Amino acid sequence: MKKDILILGAVILLVILLAAGTDIQSVDEYYLTHIDDITEDSETVTLSINCSTVLDNWDRLPESLQDEAYVPSDGWIMKKTEYVLRPGDTAFDILNRAVRHQKIQMEYQGADANVYNSVYIQGIHYLYEYSCGPLSGWMYRVNGEFPDCGCDAYQLKDGDRIEFIYTCDLGRDIGGEMRKEE
Amino acid sequence: MGDFASFHPAVSFVYYVLVLAVSMFTLHPVPVVISMAGAFLYFALTHRIRVTVSDAVFYILLFILLSLTNPLFVHNGETILFFMNGNPITLEVFLYGMAMAGMLIGVMYWCKCYQIVMTSDKFLYLFGRAVPRLSLVLSMALRFIPLFKKHAGEVRRVQKTMGMYAGTGITDRLLFSLRVFDSVAGWSLENAIDTADSMRARGYGLKGRSNFSVFPFEKKDLLMLAVLAAAAAAVLGGYFAGVFDFSYYPAADQVAFGSGLIVQTVILSALMLLPAVLEIKEKIKWNYLKSGI
Repeated sequence: MKKDILILGAVILLVILLAAGTDIQSVDEYYLTHIDDITEDSETVTLSINCSTVLDNWDRLPESLQDEAYVPSDGWIMKKTEYVLRPGDTAFDILNRAVRHQKIQMEYQGADANVYNSVYIQGIHYLYEYSCGPLSGWMYRVNGEFPDCGCDAYQLKDGDRIEFIYTCDLGRDIGGEMRKEE
Repeated sequence: MGDFASFHPAVSFVYYVLVLAVSMFTLHPVPVVISMAGAFLYFALTHRIRVTVSDAVFYILLFILLSLTNPLFVHNGETILFFMNGNPITLEVFLYGMAMAGMLIGVMYWCKCYQIVMTSDKFLYLFGRAVPRLSLVLSMALRFIPLFKKHAGEVRRVQKTMGMYAGTGITDRLLFSLRVFDSVAGWSLENAIDTADSMRARGYGLKGRSNFSVFPFEKKDLLMLAVLAAAAAAVLGGYFAGVFDFSYYPAADQVAFGSGLIVQTVILSALMLLPAVLEIKEKIKWNYLKSGI
Protein backbone atom coordinates (compact mmCIF):
# COMPACT_ATOMS: atom_id res chain seq x y z
CA MET A 1 0.00 0.00 0.00
CA LYS A 2 2.83 2.38 0.86
CA LYS A 3 4.28 1.93 -2.61
CA ASP A 4 0.92 2.72 -4.18
CA ILE A 5 0.65 6.00 -2.33
CA LEU A 6 4.18 6.89 -3.38
CA ILE A 7 3.42 6.22 -7.05
CA LEU A 8 0.14 8.14 -6.81
CA GLY A 9 2.02 11.09 -5.33
CA ALA A 10 4.53 11.02 -8.17
CA VAL A 11 1.75 10.95 -10.79
CA ILE A 12 -0.07 13.86 -9.15
CA LEU A 13 3.18 15.84 -9.00
CA LEU A 14 3.75 15.19 -12.71
CA VAL A 15 0.24 16.37 -13.58
CA ILE A 16 0.68 19.52 -11.50
CA LEU A 17 4.01 20.24 -13.19
CA LEU A 18 2.43 19.79 -16.63
CA ALA A 19 -0.51 21.99 -15.72
CA ALA A 20 1.80 24.68 -14.35
CA GLY A 21 3.80 24.64 -17.59
CA THR A 22 0.81 25.19 -19.83
CA ASP A 23 -0.56 28.63 -20.25
CA ILE A 24 -4.09 28.77 -21.59
CA GLN A 25 -5.37 32.02 -23.07
CA SER A 26 -8.69 32.86 -24.65
CA VAL A 27 -8.71 34.22 -28.19
CA ASP A 28 -9.36 37.80 -27.06
CA GLU A 29 -6.58 37.67 -24.47
CA TYR A 30 -4.11 36.45 -27.05
CA TYR A 31 -4.86 39.14 -29.60
CA LEU A 32 -4.76 41.87 -26.97
CA THR A 33 -1.32 43.18 -27.88
CA HIS A 34 0.01 46.55 -27.04
CA ILE A 35 1.13 48.52 -30.04
CA ASP A 36 3.18 51.60 -29.29
CA ASP A 37 1.97 54.84 -30.77
CA ILE A 38 4.29 56.34 -33.33
CA THR A 39 5.67 59.63 -32.08
CA GLU A 40 8.12 61.97 -33.73
CA ASP A 41 11.23 60.64 -32.02
CA SER A 42 10.35 56.91 -32.00
CA GLU A 43 12.35 54.51 -34.13
CA THR A 44 10.20 52.67 -36.65
CA VAL A 45 10.44 49.86 -39.20
CA THR A 46 8.00 48.79 -41.89
CA LEU A 47 6.62 45.32 -42.45
CA SER A 48 4.72 43.77 -45.34
CA ILE A 49 3.54 40.25 -46.11
CA ASN A 50 3.11 39.22 -49.72
CA CYS A 51 2.16 35.98 -51.46
CA SER A 52 1.74 37.09 -55.08
CA THR A 53 3.90 34.20 -56.38
CA VAL A 54 1.02 31.90 -55.50
CA LEU A 55 -1.13 33.66 -58.09
CA ASP A 56 1.23 32.45 -60.83
CA ASN A 57 1.09 28.87 -59.54
CA TRP A 58 -2.61 28.79 -58.77
CA ASP A 59 -3.23 25.20 -59.93
CA ARG A 60 -0.58 23.83 -57.57
CA LEU A 61 -2.54 25.09 -54.59
CA PRO A 62 -4.87 22.56 -52.90
CA GLU A 63 -8.51 23.19 -53.75
CA SER A 64 -9.36 24.08 -50.17
CA LEU A 65 -7.00 27.08 -50.34
CA GLN A 66 -8.09 28.33 -53.77
CA ASP A 67 -10.16 31.11 -52.33
CA GLU A 68 -10.00 34.88 -52.22
CA ALA A 69 -10.27 34.61 -48.43
CA TYR A 70 -6.92 32.81 -48.16
CA VAL A 71 -4.99 34.26 -51.10
CA PRO A 72 -5.94 37.89 -51.78
CA SER A 73 -6.25 38.66 -55.49
CA ASP A 74 -3.47 41.28 -55.32
CA GLY A 75 -1.21 39.01 -53.26
CA TRP A 76 -0.96 41.35 -50.25
CA ILE A 77 -1.75 39.63 -46.97
CA MET A 78 -0.56 42.74 -45.17
CA LYS A 79 0.34 45.94 -46.94
CA LYS A 80 3.38 47.95 -45.86
CA THR A 81 2.73 49.07 -42.30
CA GLU A 82 4.87 51.06 -39.92
CA TYR A 83 5.64 49.68 -36.47
CA VAL A 84 7.56 51.10 -33.56
CA LEU A 85 10.93 49.44 -33.03
CA ARG A 86 11.53 48.46 -29.41
CA PRO A 87 15.13 48.06 -28.29
CA GLY A 88 16.50 44.60 -29.19
CA ASP A 89 13.69 43.76 -31.59
CA THR A 90 14.37 41.13 -34.22
CA ALA A 91 12.52 40.58 -37.49
CA PHE A 92 10.55 37.82 -35.82
CA ASP A 93 9.43 40.04 -32.92
CA ILE A 94 8.00 42.58 -35.33
CA LEU A 95 6.23 39.88 -37.37
CA ASN A 96 4.81 38.28 -34.24
CA ARG A 97 3.56 41.61 -32.91
CA ALA A 98 2.08 42.57 -36.26
CA VAL A 99 0.17 39.33 -36.88
CA ARG A 100 -1.28 39.48 -33.38
CA HIS A 101 -2.25 43.09 -33.91
CA GLN A 102 -3.88 42.38 -37.27
CA LYS A 103 -5.26 38.97 -36.20
CA ILE A 104 -3.51 37.13 -38.99
CA GLN A 105 -2.99 33.41 -38.42
CA MET A 106 0.68 32.42 -38.11
CA GLU A 107 2.42 29.23 -37.08
CA TYR A 108 6.10 28.92 -36.36
CA GLN A 109 8.56 26.38 -35.11
CA GLY A 110 10.30 27.63 -32.00
CA ALA A 111 14.07 28.03 -31.85
CA ASP A 112 14.25 25.06 -29.45
CA ALA A 113 12.46 22.74 -31.88
CA ASN A 114 14.88 22.57 -34.81
CA VAL A 115 18.56 22.03 -35.56
CA TYR A 116 19.13 25.63 -36.72
CA ASN A 117 18.40 27.08 -33.27
CA SER A 118 16.30 29.75 -34.89
CA VAL A 119 12.63 30.36 -35.41
CA TYR A 120 11.15 28.93 -38.60
CA ILE A 121 7.94 30.39 -40.02
CA GLN A 122 5.81 27.43 -41.10
CA GLY A 123 2.76 29.27 -42.28
CA ILE A 124 1.11 32.66 -42.42
CA HIS A 125 -2.57 33.20 -43.13
CA TYR A 126 -3.19 29.42 -43.63
CA LEU A 127 -0.56 29.41 -46.37
CA TYR A 128 1.98 26.84 -45.19
CA GLU A 129 5.31 25.52 -46.38
CA TYR A 130 4.67 23.04 -49.23
CA SER A 131 1.16 24.44 -49.71
CA CYS A 132 2.01 25.46 -53.25
CA GLY A 133 4.32 22.75 -54.54
CA PRO A 134 7.33 21.02 -52.96
CA LEU A 135 9.59 24.08 -53.17
CA SER A 136 7.25 26.57 -51.54
CA GLY A 137 7.50 28.35 -48.21
CA TRP A 138 8.05 31.67 -46.49
CA MET A 139 11.18 33.81 -46.82
CA TYR A 140 12.03 37.25 -45.55
CA ARG A 141 13.89 40.19 -46.91
CA VAL A 142 15.27 43.25 -45.14
CA ASN A 143 15.91 46.37 -47.22
CA GLY A 144 15.72 44.25 -50.37
CA GLU A 145 18.26 41.62 -49.31
CA PHE A 146 17.78 38.09 -48.03
CA PRO A 147 19.70 37.73 -44.74
CA ASP A 148 21.63 34.50 -44.11
CA CYS A 149 20.11 33.90 -40.70
CA GLY A 150 16.80 33.01 -39.10
CA CYS A 151 14.37 35.86 -38.61
CA ASP A 152 14.75 35.78 -34.82
CA ALA A 153 18.50 36.33 -35.15
CA TYR A 154 18.26 39.45 -37.31
CA GLN A 155 18.60 42.60 -35.21
CA LEU A 156 16.67 45.48 -36.73
CA LYS A 157 17.64 49.11 -36.83
CA ASP A 158 15.71 52.29 -37.40
CA GLY A 159 14.05 52.58 -40.80
CA ASP A 160 14.46 48.94 -41.86
CA ARG A 161 12.05 47.63 -44.48
CA ILE A 162 11.03 44.03 -43.71
CA GLU A 163 9.14 41.92 -46.25
CA PHE A 164 7.87 38.42 -45.72
CA ILE A 165 7.39 36.83 -49.13
CA TYR A 166 6.00 33.49 -50.17
CA THR A 167 8.09 31.56 -52.68
CA CYS A 168 6.92 28.70 -54.89
CA ASP A 169 10.38 27.85 -56.22
CA LEU A 170 12.88 27.85 -53.34
CA GLY A 171 13.39 31.59 -53.59
CA ARG A 172 14.28 31.66 -57.29
CA ASP A 173 11.01 33.33 -58.25
CA ILE A 174 11.56 36.19 -55.81
CA GLY A 175 15.27 36.70 -56.43
CA GLY A 176 16.49 34.98 -53.29
CA GLU A 177 18.21 31.89 -54.64
CA MET A 178 20.76 30.08 -52.51
CA ARG A 179 24.25 31.31 -53.11
CA LYS A 180 26.46 28.65 -54.64
CA GLU A 181 29.24 27.44 -52.35
CA GLU A 182 32.59 28.13 -53.97
CA MET B 1 -17.17 -20.15 -36.93
CA GLY B 2 -19.82 -18.41 -38.90
CA ASP B 3 -20.79 -18.11 -42.50
CA PHE B 4 -18.19 -15.51 -43.42
CA ALA B 5 -15.30 -17.77 -42.43
CA SER B 6 -16.61 -20.56 -44.64
CA PHE B 7 -15.52 -18.86 -47.86
CA HIS B 8 -12.43 -19.95 -49.74
CA PRO B 9 -9.23 -18.41 -48.26
CA ALA B 10 -8.58 -16.50 -51.49
CA VAL B 11 -11.99 -14.83 -51.21
CA SER B 12 -11.47 -13.92 -47.55
CA PHE B 13 -8.02 -12.58 -48.31
CA VAL B 14 -9.24 -10.42 -51.19
CA TYR B 15 -12.02 -9.14 -48.95
CA TYR B 16 -9.60 -8.06 -46.23
CA VAL B 17 -7.17 -6.44 -48.65
CA LEU B 18 -10.05 -4.50 -50.18
CA VAL B 19 -11.54 -3.38 -46.88
CA LEU B 20 -8.19 -2.39 -45.39
CA ALA B 21 -7.22 -0.47 -48.52
CA VAL B 22 -10.50 1.44 -48.51
CA SER B 23 -10.23 2.19 -44.79
CA MET B 24 -6.62 3.30 -44.96
CA PHE B 25 -6.67 5.61 -47.94
CA THR B 26 -9.37 8.05 -46.96
CA LEU B 27 -10.05 10.36 -44.05
CA HIS B 28 -13.53 11.27 -45.21
CA PRO B 29 -15.77 10.92 -42.14
CA VAL B 30 -18.39 8.74 -43.85
CA PRO B 31 -16.12 5.84 -44.87
CA VAL B 32 -14.28 6.11 -41.55
CA VAL B 33 -17.49 5.69 -39.57
CA ILE B 34 -18.78 2.86 -41.78
CA SER B 35 -15.46 1.03 -41.56
CA MET B 36 -15.35 1.34 -37.77
CA ALA B 37 -18.96 0.21 -37.43
CA GLY B 38 -18.55 -2.80 -39.71
CA ALA B 39 -15.40 -4.07 -38.03
CA PHE B 40 -16.72 -3.46 -34.52
CA LEU B 41 -20.04 -5.21 -35.23
CA TYR B 42 -18.34 -8.28 -36.63
CA PHE B 43 -15.94 -8.37 -33.69
CA ALA B 44 -18.81 -8.02 -31.20
CA LEU B 45 -20.80 -10.79 -32.88
CA THR B 46 -17.91 -13.23 -32.79
CA HIS B 47 -16.81 -12.56 -29.20
CA ARG B 48 -18.37 -12.76 -25.77
CA ILE B 49 -19.87 -9.56 -24.43
CA ARG B 50 -17.31 -9.26 -21.63
CA VAL B 51 -14.40 -9.41 -24.08
CA THR B 52 -16.10 -6.96 -26.43
CA VAL B 53 -16.72 -4.40 -23.68
CA SER B 54 -13.27 -4.56 -22.10
CA ASP B 55 -11.77 -4.26 -25.58
CA ALA B 56 -14.01 -1.34 -26.47
CA VAL B 57 -12.97 0.53 -23.32
CA PHE B 58 -9.33 0.24 -24.34
CA TYR B 59 -10.03 1.47 -27.86
CA ILE B 60 -12.17 4.37 -26.64
CA LEU B 61 -9.26 5.49 -24.44
CA LEU B 62 -6.94 5.10 -27.40
CA PHE B 63 -9.33 7.16 -29.54
CA ILE B 64 -9.30 9.98 -26.99
CA LEU B 65 -5.51 9.85 -26.67
CA LEU B 66 -4.98 9.91 -30.44
CA SER B 67 -7.39 12.78 -31.04
CA LEU B 68 -5.81 14.82 -28.26
CA THR B 69 -2.28 14.28 -29.60
CA ASN B 70 -2.88 16.04 -32.91
CA PRO B 71 -3.52 19.52 -31.39
CA LEU B 72 -0.14 19.34 -29.66
CA PHE B 73 1.68 19.31 -32.98
CA VAL B 74 -0.56 21.02 -35.52
CA HIS B 75 -1.95 24.54 -35.22
CA ASN B 76 -3.55 25.07 -38.60
CA GLY B 77 -7.23 25.88 -38.92
CA GLU B 78 -9.64 28.80 -38.89
CA THR B 79 -11.82 28.21 -35.83
CA ILE B 80 -9.60 28.97 -32.86
CA LEU B 81 -10.90 27.59 -29.56
CA PHE B 82 -8.16 28.88 -27.29
CA PHE B 83 -4.41 29.47 -27.15
CA MET B 84 -2.05 27.14 -25.34
CA ASN B 85 1.47 28.39 -24.70
CA GLY B 86 1.00 30.96 -27.46
CA ASN B 87 -0.15 28.39 -30.03
CA PRO B 88 -3.69 28.24 -31.33
CA ILE B 89 -5.74 25.11 -30.62
CA THR B 90 -8.34 24.90 -33.35
CA LEU B 91 -11.51 22.96 -33.99
CA GLU B 92 -10.21 21.67 -37.34
CA VAL B 93 -7.22 20.05 -35.68
CA PHE B 94 -9.52 18.17 -33.31
CA LEU B 95 -11.71 17.04 -36.21
CA TYR B 96 -8.67 15.84 -38.12
CA GLY B 97 -7.37 14.06 -35.03
CA MET B 98 -10.71 12.34 -34.56
CA ALA B 99 -10.87 11.22 -38.20
CA MET B 100 -7.29 9.96 -37.96
CA ALA B 101 -8.02 8.09 -34.72
CA GLY B 102 -11.21 6.63 -36.17
CA MET B 103 -9.37 5.46 -39.26
CA LEU B 104 -6.60 3.87 -37.19
CA ILE B 105 -8.98 2.13 -34.81
CA GLY B 106 -11.11 0.90 -37.71
CA VAL B 107 -8.02 -0.63 -39.31
CA MET B 108 -6.99 -2.16 -35.97
CA TYR B 109 -10.42 -3.73 -35.55
CA TRP B 110 -10.29 -5.11 -39.09
CA CYS B 111 -6.94 -6.67 -38.25
CA LYS B 112 -8.47 -8.25 -35.15
CA CYS B 113 -11.28 -9.62 -37.30
CA TYR B 114 -8.71 -10.85 -39.81
CA GLN B 115 -7.36 -13.10 -37.05
CA ILE B 116 -10.74 -14.78 -36.68
CA VAL B 117 -11.24 -15.62 -40.33
CA MET B 118 -7.77 -15.94 -41.86
CA THR B 119 -6.22 -18.57 -39.63
CA SER B 120 -2.59 -19.42 -40.30
CA ASP B 121 -3.44 -22.67 -42.10
CA LYS B 122 -5.54 -20.69 -44.57
CA PHE B 123 -2.75 -18.20 -45.11
CA LEU B 124 -0.21 -20.97 -45.66
CA TYR B 125 -2.64 -22.76 -47.98
CA LEU B 126 -2.80 -19.63 -50.12
CA PHE B 127 0.85 -18.59 -50.20
CA GLY B 128 2.81 -21.56 -48.83
CA ARG B 129 3.63 -22.87 -52.25
CA ALA B 130 4.36 -19.65 -54.08
CA VAL B 131 6.40 -17.81 -51.44
CA PRO B 132 7.10 -20.29 -48.62
CA ARG B 133 9.53 -18.22 -46.57
CA LEU B 134 7.67 -14.96 -46.72
CA SER B 135 4.32 -16.55 -45.99
CA LEU B 136 5.68 -18.40 -42.96
CA VAL B 137 7.24 -15.23 -41.58
CA LEU B 138 4.05 -13.29 -42.27
CA SER B 139 1.77 -15.86 -40.69
CA MET B 140 4.03 -16.01 -37.65
CA ALA B 141 4.11 -12.23 -37.41
CA LEU B 142 0.34 -11.99 -37.69
CA ARG B 143 -0.06 -14.61 -34.99
CA PHE B 144 2.55 -13.02 -32.75
CA ILE B 145 0.38 -10.85 -30.51
CA PRO B 146 -2.48 -13.35 -29.90
CA LEU B 147 0.08 -16.04 -29.10
CA PHE B 148 1.98 -13.63 -26.86
CA LYS B 149 -1.18 -12.79 -24.94
CA LYS B 150 -2.09 -16.45 -24.57
CA HIS B 151 1.31 -17.46 -23.30
CA ALA B 152 1.47 -14.47 -20.94
CA GLY B 153 -1.83 -15.64 -19.45
CA GLU B 154 -0.39 -19.11 -18.93
CA VAL B 155 2.76 -17.81 -17.24
CA ARG B 156 0.68 -15.56 -15.04
CA ARG B 157 -1.55 -18.40 -13.92
CA VAL B 158 1.37 -20.70 -13.21
CA GLN B 159 3.10 -18.04 -11.11
CA LYS B 160 -0.10 -17.36 -9.20
CA THR B 161 -0.60 -21.07 -8.54
CA MET B 162 2.92 -21.29 -7.20
CA GLY B 163 1.96 -18.59 -4.71
CA MET B 164 4.26 -15.89 -6.06
CA TYR B 165 3.38 -12.22 -6.32
CA ALA B 166 0.52 -12.38 -3.85
CA GLY B 167 0.69 -8.61 -3.25
CA THR B 168 -2.52 -6.71 -3.88
CA GLY B 169 -1.23 -3.17 -4.49
CA ILE B 170 -1.14 -1.67 -7.96
CA THR B 171 2.63 -1.34 -7.85
CA ASP B 172 3.04 -5.01 -6.99
CA ARG B 173 0.75 -6.03 -9.81
CA LEU B 174 2.63 -3.79 -12.21
CA LEU B 175 5.95 -5.29 -11.21
CA PHE B 176 4.44 -8.75 -11.57
CA SER B 177 3.24 -7.95 -15.10
CA LEU B 178 6.67 -6.62 -15.94
CA ARG B 179 8.28 -9.90 -14.85
CA VAL B 180 5.78 -11.90 -16.90
CA PHE B 181 6.37 -9.67 -19.92
CA ASP B 182 10.11 -10.10 -19.58
CA SER B 183 9.88 -13.87 -19.52
CA VAL B 184 7.36 -14.09 -22.36
CA ALA B 185 9.43 -11.79 -24.58
CA GLY B 186 12.35 -14.18 -24.30
CA TRP B 187 10.12 -17.18 -24.85
CA SER B 188 8.55 -15.69 -28.00
CA LEU B 189 11.95 -15.27 -29.68
CA GLU B 190 12.85 -18.85 -28.88
CA ASN B 191 9.44 -20.02 -30.01
CA ALA B 192 9.89 -18.35 -33.39
CA ILE B 193 13.12 -20.29 -33.99
CA ASP B 194 11.47 -23.50 -32.79
CA THR B 195 8.57 -23.02 -35.16
CA ALA B 196 10.87 -22.38 -38.10
CA ASP B 197 12.95 -25.48 -37.30
CA SER B 198 9.90 -27.63 -36.83
CA MET B 199 8.42 -26.47 -40.13
CA ARG B 200 11.67 -27.33 -41.90
CA ALA B 201 11.72 -30.77 -40.25
CA ARG B 202 8.28 -31.40 -41.72
CA GLY B 203 9.51 -30.59 -45.21
CA TYR B 204 7.76 -27.26 -45.46
CA GLY B 205 8.45 -25.55 -48.77
CA LEU B 206 9.58 -28.72 -50.52
CA LYS B 207 8.06 -29.84 -53.80
CA GLY B 208 5.00 -32.06 -53.69
CA ARG B 209 4.08 -31.20 -50.12
CA SER B 210 0.34 -31.20 -49.52
CA ASN B 211 -1.59 -28.96 -47.17
CA PHE B 212 -3.06 -29.69 -43.78
CA SER B 213 -6.42 -28.24 -44.75
CA VAL B 214 -7.91 -28.41 -48.20
CA PHE B 215 -10.33 -25.73 -49.29
CA PRO B 216 -12.45 -26.43 -52.35
CA PHE B 217 -13.32 -23.45 -54.50
CA GLU B 218 -17.09 -23.52 -54.78
CA LYS B 219 -19.71 -21.69 -56.78
CA LYS B 220 -20.52 -19.31 -53.92
CA ASP B 221 -16.84 -18.31 -53.76
CA LEU B 222 -16.90 -17.38 -57.42
CA LEU B 223 -20.09 -15.39 -56.89
CA MET B 224 -18.57 -13.62 -53.90
CA LEU B 225 -15.39 -12.84 -55.82
CA ALA B 226 -17.47 -11.29 -58.60
CA VAL B 227 -19.39 -9.17 -56.08
CA LEU B 228 -16.12 -8.03 -54.48
CA ALA B 229 -14.65 -7.15 -57.87
CA ALA B 230 -17.71 -5.07 -58.70
CA ALA B 231 -17.60 -3.31 -55.33
CA ALA B 232 -13.87 -2.64 -55.72
CA ALA B 233 -14.39 -1.14 -59.16
CA ALA B 234 -17.21 1.07 -57.89
CA VAL B 235 -15.28 2.30 -54.84
CA LEU B 236 -12.13 2.89 -56.88
CA GLY B 237 -14.20 4.87 -59.38
CA GLY B 238 -15.58 6.99 -56.56
CA TYR B 239 -12.11 7.46 -55.12
CA PHE B 240 -10.69 8.82 -58.36
CA ALA B 241 -13.78 10.89 -59.01
CA GLY B 242 -12.96 12.70 -55.77
CA VAL B 243 -16.01 11.58 -53.81
CA PHE B 244 -13.83 10.73 -50.81
CA ASP B 245 -11.85 13.97 -50.93
CA PHE B 246 -12.24 15.84 -47.70
CA SER B 247 -10.03 18.65 -46.53
CA TYR B 248 -9.76 19.66 -42.90
CA TYR B 249 -7.49 22.70 -43.25
CA PRO B 250 -7.86 25.61 -43.13
CA ALA B 251 -11.62 25.10 -42.72
CA ALA B 252 -13.20 21.66 -42.54
CA ASP B 253 -15.49 20.75 -45.44
CA GLN B 254 -19.14 20.03 -44.88
CA VAL B 255 -20.24 16.46 -45.51
CA ALA B 256 -22.31 17.06 -48.64
CA PHE B 257 -24.56 14.12 -49.40
CA GLY B 258 -24.63 14.45 -53.17
CA SER B 259 -25.64 11.57 -55.40
CA GLY B 260 -22.05 10.31 -55.66
CA LEU B 261 -21.59 10.12 -51.92
CA ILE B 262 -24.96 8.44 -51.36
CA VAL B 263 -24.15 5.72 -53.90
CA GLN B 264 -20.71 5.23 -52.33
CA THR B 265 -22.21 5.12 -48.84
CA VAL B 266 -24.58 2.35 -49.89
CA ILE B 267 -21.81 0.34 -51.57
CA LEU B 268 -19.41 0.80 -48.68
CA SER B 269 -22.05 -0.11 -46.09
CA ALA B 270 -22.88 -3.27 -48.03
CA LEU B 271 -19.19 -4.14 -48.27
CA MET B 272 -18.18 -3.36 -44.69
CA LEU B 273 -21.26 -4.73 -42.97
CA LEU B 274 -21.18 -7.98 -44.97
CA PRO B 275 -19.37 -10.11 -42.34
CA ALA B 276 -21.68 -8.88 -39.58
CA VAL B 277 -24.79 -9.49 -41.66
CA LEU B 278 -23.68 -13.02 -42.57
CA GLU B 279 -22.92 -13.68 -38.91
CA ILE B 280 -26.38 -12.47 -37.84
CA LYS B 281 -27.98 -14.61 -40.54
CA GLU B 282 -26.11 -17.64 -39.23
CA LYS B 283 -27.14 -16.89 -35.64
CA ILE B 284 -30.80 -16.63 -36.62
CA LYS B 285 -30.57 -19.89 -38.54
CA TRP B 286 -28.92 -21.61 -35.60
CA ASN B 287 -31.54 -20.39 -33.13
CA TYR B 288 -34.30 -21.44 -35.51
CA LEU B 289 -32.88 -24.94 -35.90
CA LYS B 290 -32.32 -25.20 -32.14
CA SER B 291 -35.93 -24.26 -31.45
CA GLY B 292 -37.05 -27.17 -33.62
CA ILE B 293 -35.33 -29.79 -31.47
